Amino acid sequence: MNPREAFLDRVRRAVSEGNRAGDSCPLPERRGVGYQGAGPDAVRKFCDELAAAGGKPHVAADREATCRTVLDLVRGRGGRKAVLSRCPLIDRLDLAGRLRAAGIDLTVTDGPPTGLARELFFAADVGISGVYRLVAETGSVVLVTGPQQPRSVSLLPPLHIALAEPSQILPDLFDLFDLFSPVPTADKAVPPSCLTVITGPSKTGDIELRLVTGVHGPGEIHVVLCAAPLAG
Amino acid sequence: MDAAGTAVTDYARREHHDFLGASRQALGDPALQLALVRLTDTLMAGNRRGYAALADSSDLRDHAKRIKEHTLAHLDRYLEQLEASVLRLGGKVHWTADAEEARRTVVGIARAAGCTRAVKSKSMTSEEVHLNPALEAAGVHVVETDFGEFIIQLAGERPSHLVAPAVHHSRESIARILSDRVGTQLPDDPAVLAATGRRLLREEFSRADLGITGANFAVAETGTVVLVTNEGNGRLTTTCPRVHVALVGMEKVIPRLADLPVFLKLLARGATGQTLSVYTTILTGPRRPGEADGPQEFHLVFLDNGRSRVLATPFRESLQCIRCGACLNACPVYRRIGGHAYGGVYSGPIGSILTPLYDSVEANPHLPHASSLCGACQAACPVKINIPHMLIGLRELQHHRQPNRWEALAYRLWAAVLARPRLYRLALAGARALVRPLARGGWLRSLPGPAGGWTRDRDFPAPAARPFRDRWKELEES
Repeated sequence: MNPREAFLDRVRRAVSEGNRAGDSCPLPERRGVGYQGAGPDAVRKFCDELAAAGGKPHVAADREATCRTVLDLVRGRGGRKAVLSRCPLIDRLDLAGRLRAAGIDLTVTDGPPTGLARELFFAADVGISGVYRLVAETGSVVLVTGPQQPRSVSLLPPLHIALAEPSQILPDLFDLFDLFSPVPTADKAVPPSCLTVITGPSKTGDIELRLVTGVHGPGEIHVVLCAAPLAG
Repeated sequence: MDAAGTAVTDYARREHHDFLGASRQALGDPALQLALVRLTDTLMAGNRRGYAALADSSDLRDHAKRIKEHTLAHLDRYLEQLEASVLRLGGKVHWTADAEEARRTVVGIARAAGCTRAVKSKSMTSEEVHLNPALEAAGVHVVETDFGEFIIQLAGERPSHLVAPAVHHSRESIARILSDRVGTQLPDDPAVLAATGRRLLREEFSRADLGITGANFAVAETGTVVLVTNEGNGRLTTTCPRVHVALVGMEKVIPRLADLPVFLKLLARGATGQTLSVYTTILTGPRRPGEADGPQEFHLVFLDNGRSRVLATPFRESLQCIRCGACLNACPVYRRIGGHAYGGVYSGPIGSILTPLYDSVEANPHLPHASSLCGACQAACPVKINIPHMLIGLRELQHHRQPNRWEALAYRLWAAVLARPRLYRLALAGARALVRPLARGGWLRSLPGPAGGWTRDRDFPAPAARPFRDRWKELEES
């Protein structure tokens, strides 16, 4: 018997032996159990939870305020090198143009991936990304990996700025996993190679339980919510 | 309960361990006592706050338990489904029966892919199979990247807590360990120490070609592996190196992606009181065409290592554990003696079950008794594992395998006395007459002979001058 067959054979025998006790049970349906939701004000709930996790929420009233907030954050941290992954919101804001105009050494991750040296990510001061969704219940930023959305943008630089719109907020963590299925359907996608749920800055309590941020991932995470509908 | 088999996997420790001696040593270590109180108080407060903040946490925990029960009752089917999903994504699947096979498999993957520098995200399975020495022996440089694990790797130790592996180190000792590594004297400032760790480990990440992780969960229907970390080292380990190996205990499978949030909502709340850990990394297969980072090769290595043996027994419930550490924090014994005293890879109440089951019941006689059976562990457990019940089951196993004649005789005598009221009264009167002269101020400071164990660490209340039975008679008459 090869290792696989031997392994499965052991499991099969153990399963049937253990099931004789009679505790074999169907896969339960969750119904509403554990659903928290966002309450009446999803934006507020998201901002509160993000702040509680140590992240920094910013609600910008319009397109201009959104760009200004990002520029202030980058300059305020003395950021010179930034990596940016594109998304529809970032394109509409022309954020890349604004950052370059402000003298930031910017790399946009939309070219062929071979052209992107890993050193660039390691050296960057700021990573700027859109989001796939936000989760109000937990104050989380959800990112999916794709050709234009490398994992490194939100990981290697010490500062991560995520741009989002209120319409991207999901009330509950359960809602996030309802968006995926093993095979694509009309309203569900297959999970990406990497789905990342980020809740606050990188933390460790390994030294006498004193909270230190930024031990591996970004020490600061800012979410800029562009509140204005961006018609046109 | 019946035997969980007699096979001893090399989950085992090289030398068997003096639980009582190690406990006594821990109790006499004021720095460790301080660290344990600080850690377990903080995390337990988080655990209670976390559950309280979730409107129906008890129902959700029941639901999570039922998912685990169901999965374990059909584990063969779900393992095959998970395998098929991973293969469909272009990943590879390996099946390993024990620690030796697991080590050989991971070393083989490293050799075949030409990997020489490995980074590891905290993984209890890799601790369990002693993976690091095997990789080093094969010429693969291995670095633990969880900050606490990095410290204990430098110190040549093993973790003493599931989620706070270096809790037994003060910041002074962490400063010493890191100073030795960098060759300059570092201050004992946590921010400086963490920044030093970041710098050292960034170098490792930038050069590594192999990333090794465990998995908190593995989803059968999608072939997804889930890693939960607070530091982000799990993300780095699966972003930078070109090969990713996940060494996954076979009990980590859950059926559907929709079941994942049930556990995610409970894991961090149970462990630390966070709503979620900082990074939940949900990986489905290797890097896809056009993507800039992530591993080109993905290997899922299933580990049995005694699990199938336990699956067949009434101790099956122990396979529901999601390794959050809540039972350690809740346990009045762990809170005093810490993780190393238990001697196994796993410590605390769950370790007191796993070590005897996977190592040997006979070689670990004290662990099933390292509990007051107060039930705090079960109350804290996100999947409500009935740990006290299993500890009693292990005590029963011990009794069947190695009956203690003196204990059996004592209980037979006791039963005979209890069955005869006059004899019982006489025995009580005799005992009272014997010990009352030793009492001072209502307490017995030390009892003679074999009864001395009762008073070694605490005083024993002296029996009343007149037994309640006599007073009751008077009270009834008056």
